[in-house]
Parts: sequence; structure tokens; C-alpha cells
Amino acid sequence: MSGNRKMLSGVIVVLGLALMFAGCGGSEPAKADNKAPIKIGFFAPVTGPAAADGESVLNAAKLAVEKINQTGINGRKVELVYYDDGFDTKQAVSIAQKLTTKDGVVAVVSGSYSGMTRAAAKIYQDAKIPMITAYAQHPDITKAGNYMFRQSFVGLVQGKAGAKIAVDNLKAKRIAILHVDNDFGKTLSSAFKDRAVKMGAEIVSSDSFAMGEKEFTPVLTKIKQLNPDLIYIPVYAGEGSQIVRQAKTLGIKSHILGTEGIDSTTQFLGVAKEAAEGVIITTNLNRDSERKVVKDFINGYTQKYGHKPDMVGASTYDAFMVLAHVIGQKGAEPDKIRQGLAELKDFEAVTGLIKGYNRIGEVKKTVQVQIVKNGDFHFYAEVADDDIITPPAE
Amino acid sequence: MIVQQLLNGLVIGSVYALTAMGATLVYGILRILDLANAGAYAIGAYAGLFLYLSTGNILLSFAGAIALTGFFGFVVQRYLYIPVLDRPPIVPLIASIGLFIFIQDLLRLVAGPRIREFQASLPFGAIKTETLTINPTWILIIVLTAALLAFLWYLLAYTKIGLAWRATAQDLEIAKAMGVNINQVVAYNFLLGYAFAATAGIMVGMLYNSVFPTMGDVPAYKMLALIVLGGLGNPVGTVAAAVMIGLIETLIAGYIGFFLPRDAIAFVALIIILLIKPEGLMSRKA
Repeated sequence: MSGNRKMLSGVIVVLGLALMFAGCGGSEPAKADNKAPIKIGFFAPVTGPAAADGESVLNAAKLAVEKINQTGINGRKVELVYYDDGFDTKQAVSIAQKLTTKDGVVAVVSGSYSGMTRAAAKIYQDAKIPMITAYAQHPDITKAGNYMFRQSFVGLVQGKAGAKIAVDNLKAKRIAILHVDNDFGKTLSSAFKDRAVKMGAEIVSSDSFAMGEKEFTPVLTKIKQLNPDLIYIPVYAGEGSQIVRQAKTLGIKSHILGTEGIDSTTQFLGVAKEAAEGVIITTNLNRDSERKVVKDFINGYTQKYGHKPDMVGASTYDAFMVLAHVIGQKGAEPDKIRQGLAELKDFEAVTGLIKGYNRIGEVKKTVQVQIVKNGDFHFYAEVADDDIITPPAE
Repeated sequence: MIVQQLLNGLVIGSVYALTAMGATLVYGILRILDLANAGAYAIGAYAGLFLYLSTGNILLSFAGAIALTGFFGFVVQRYLYIPVLDRPPIVPLIASIGLFIFIQDLLRLVAGPRIREFQASLPFGAIKTETLTINPTWILIIVLTAALLAFLWYLLAYTKIGLAWRATAQDLEIAKAMGVNINQVVAYNFLLGYAFAATAGIMVGMLYNSVFPTMGDVPAYKMLALIVLGGLGNPVGTVAAAVMIGLIETLIAGYIGFFLPRDAIAFVALIIILLIKPEGLMSRKA
């Protein structure tokens, strides 16, 4: 008898407990689910020829998630689900399939270059998972659909800003262009050329080279003969550092104007050393900014990783911060995040005040112009002209 | 400008000659396309850089890196190539590709993906006139390349090991039958081939002030073109092909423009040569 009663009371306790939990669940729907971390996907070229940028952006992504998790978003943590695309478009596609079908992420940040991001964009769009592209330039990325957003200016904006600096600020009349032969270099140089010619400058030469090139003495010897006022170099840090070193060796005195491609402390300034002095770049990170978000980011990154951050890192960090902000306001469902991003206004980001994303997901913010002085990037100017910084809407 | 451009071409050609020499030597003897030689080039650059940073002595860094990479070459042939030598030629080729990828990723894991600076101070300065600039590193490259190639020529033409080498290159089986110690010949060959690669790596690292894990990528395929152009394993041919490609690349870039990526020029030359002189620029008729 007593055994039966014991069993009965046991059953009642279990039932009661079950009911209690069920009750809780009823009053606060999906409580267990609410505690689960919010998964954000991320891919970057951590190995392969762009591994240095890959390392920068992965560092920045981890720093951002750490920062977000100090407070959490409405009581939930963020979990970073990241993959290495190895600078390979095929890899980027299979990562996209994995992130959208297996990993259950609510949003994705691309920390990769145009080729990889462009190939993956359609898959995220079809899966209706919003993606923010941290720094890839190609116009087609956002054209994949309404779930695509871009964190840094499209090439057209930066090229036009470069032309303004060259012609208005540096008074260049004769300009030589030396660009990397890919989407990045072509988009920037054609936008720069159009605007500079309209403003009355003459393009005396335009040369291109394959990514990874290290030897520029032959083409620089030719440019030296032309004696231009300015050389515009939409290139990456690996090539840019060689261009400025070899230009200095050859005794070229022209101004050198670069882009965010050479916005790298270790890869550009570290290699080019004193040859980089006086080089001016268009970018989105103002190192001399007094704004708190910028100082916090630069100090936090430098403390954690032992070197100063660059533009790709700052853009990636911002992409995560924007997502955290939008999730906090709208909730952690992909379509709500998309809506939140489309409606975003005046968000204080490290790379400037984000005035918002336009109809096709292009960001609007001012262009920073930095100059190398004493081995570091410093403020030179800011381009805020509305007709330059307004991204194309189709 | 023409003098400057010819000098630029000569520097680039010298670097190519040195880079392709290691793989030429290996191909000459074993008929293996040793892609891992481009990995040795990166290993040499890293070894040279770390030795230079820790000792501050450029001579010591050259010597140490050459010894280390040469030893690595010895290990590679002993434990990787010799065991697969009797298999079809595709086997050692795949092994060498595997080793090359392994080396690149190992360097990335050990030293990090970022470009490392190689700023060595040389005991002589730049020469600069209105129209001509001569960088001290260029002088070093041209002089060192000439010295090493002269040493190699002496070794091949006038020493016993050189004779054994040439015999083995002509016919490995016959040379073996005649009592040539093949294992020793192959070991020396790799030792020297990898030492050349290391020298090239250090000099390129200094020239561009940058050492990074994937620095062997371009040499890996360009040296193939140079080896074939030069007549498959003929050292003199490789030097001629290297200087020629260096000059052509420079003159095209300086006077015509980059209508093609610079690296493609070697392959265009390769196609032309294969069409009109399939045995290569300089080749002993077999």
C-alpha cells in the first residue's frame, strides 16, 4: 500500500511540475527559445591571398560580438557563426547554403571581397536572410534583391569623392591612373575619371595590372616621363605599398591619391614606411575623430589585437552593431531585421553617421579623406557634398 | 628612359633566373616538376627575415637561411621524392603540389597571414641622377645572381660532382650502372636547388620589403614557363629565358602598356616558342 501511495505522490509531483512549467510557457510564449543565442552568420577570406584582410575582419567581428554580449539584446546573447571562404567563390556559395539551411542564422555579414559576396548574395536573397556587405564594392551585390545591404560606399561614390579631392583640393590638372584590374579597381577608376574630366582635369595615362603584382618600376618609369600632377591608385595594400616605395625610389614627385584599398596600418604603412608620407586616401574611417564610438573601437581593437585597426575591420564592426541595434528594436526574425535596416536613420557608427540605406540597400554617409603623417593616417578632409555621397538608387 | 627600363628588366630577369634555377636543377636530374621549390623560396625568405631580425647581420641571415632551406631540400628528396620515383611522373608532381600547399599554410599558421617587413640596411647607398636611379638592392641582386650562376657553371663544368650530375641528367640508369652514387648526386642537387630558391626568396623579400606566406604563388607557375622556355632542365637556357622574359615584360609595360597581366607575358612567349622551336630556347637534342 505504502509503496503505491509513494508512487502516486511521485506521479502527482511530476505532473505538478510539468503543469507549472507548461503554465510558465503559456504566459510567456517560447521562453526557452527566447534565451537561446541569436545566430549571426559571417564569412571572410581567412586563408588565401586576402588572408590579412580576413584576419582583420574576423578580429573585428569577434570584438563586435563581445561588445554586444556585454549587455545582450533584450536578454539574449549573440552567437557568431563564421566560416573561411579561402578567397574562393565556390566556397562562398557552399558556405551560404550551409548558413541558410543548417545553421539557422537570422542575418549574415559578408567580410569578404566582391567576387565571393556577389556569388553568395543570391542564395541569401532567395532564403530571405538579410545580408550586410561590410566592404565589398561591386554594384551587383545589392542588386541581388531587397535583403541585401552595403555598409561601405559603392565604388561610384568613392571614385567621385577622389576626383573632387584631386581637382579641387590638390589642384591637379594632369592625372595618371594606375589601377588593379578587377571589379574594385575598374569601378573606382572609371568613376574617378568621369568626374575628374568633367571638372577640367586631363587623364594623361591609365594603366592596369593583375592583383598581386609587385613590380611597378617599368610603368612608373613611363609615368615619371609624363610628369603628372597626381597619380590615382585604386589598388590594394600589397600593391599600393610597392607603388609608393618604387615611385619614391624613382624620384617621382607627383601627389599620390589612393582609396580605402590601402587603408591598412600593417599592410600598407608598415611596408611602405616613409615612402607613404604625404599619401592621401579616400576611406570611411577617420582616425582623428572625437566621437566616442570611434575612440572606443580603435582603443578596444588595439588593446585586444596589438595593432591599430583598418577600414575593413571598422566596416565589419559597424555591420554587426547595426544588426544588433535593429534586432533590439524590431526582433530577431529575418524579415523584421530587413525591415529595420530599410528604415534605419542616423545611426552613430564607427565609420561615420549612417544617414540610412536607400531603396536598393546602399548606405549614405560622408567620405573621409586621410593623409599619412608621421607614419599614421590623419584627418585631411571630409567630402559631404550631397551629389557625391548620395548612392545610385538603381 | 631606355637605360632605366633596360636596368629594370635586368633586375627582374635576375630575380627570375635565380627563382627558376632551383627547379631547373631538380628537373634536369629527376624529371620532376618540383613546385615545392616555390615553397622553399618562401621558407628561405622567412628564415632569412627571422635570422636578420634576431642577429641584425645580413650575411649571417643569408648563410643561415641557405643552410636551413638546403637541409629542407635534402629532407624533401630523401623522404618524399626518392620513395615515389619509380611511380608514374604524375605521382611526384601531385606530391610536390601537396607539399607546396602544406608549406604555405604552415607558414601562415606559424608566422601569420600578414605581410612582414624585410628592411635590411645595405652598406652602400642608391645612385641617383636626373634620368637614372639605381637602388642598392638592385645592385645586390645583379651581383649576387651573377656570382651564384658563375659558381654553378664552375661546379657543373669543372668538378667531379658536376660531371656525375651531367651524367645522371643524361641517363640516370646508365650513370648508376657506371658506378655514380645516384643518391648522393640527387641529395646535392636538392641541397643546391633549394639553396638557390632561398637566396631568391630573401632577395625578393628585401626588394619589395615584404615577406608573406603566399609569396611563392607567382614563382610557382612562372618558373614552370621559364623551365620549359629554357629547354627543360638546361641551366644556361633558363638564365637566357629569365633575362629575356624580364626585359620583354619591362619594355611592354613601359612602352606599350599593360594590355595583358604582366605575368601572362611569359606564357605568351612560351606558346610562341613551343610553336616555332618546341625543344625550347636552348636544348641539347636528345
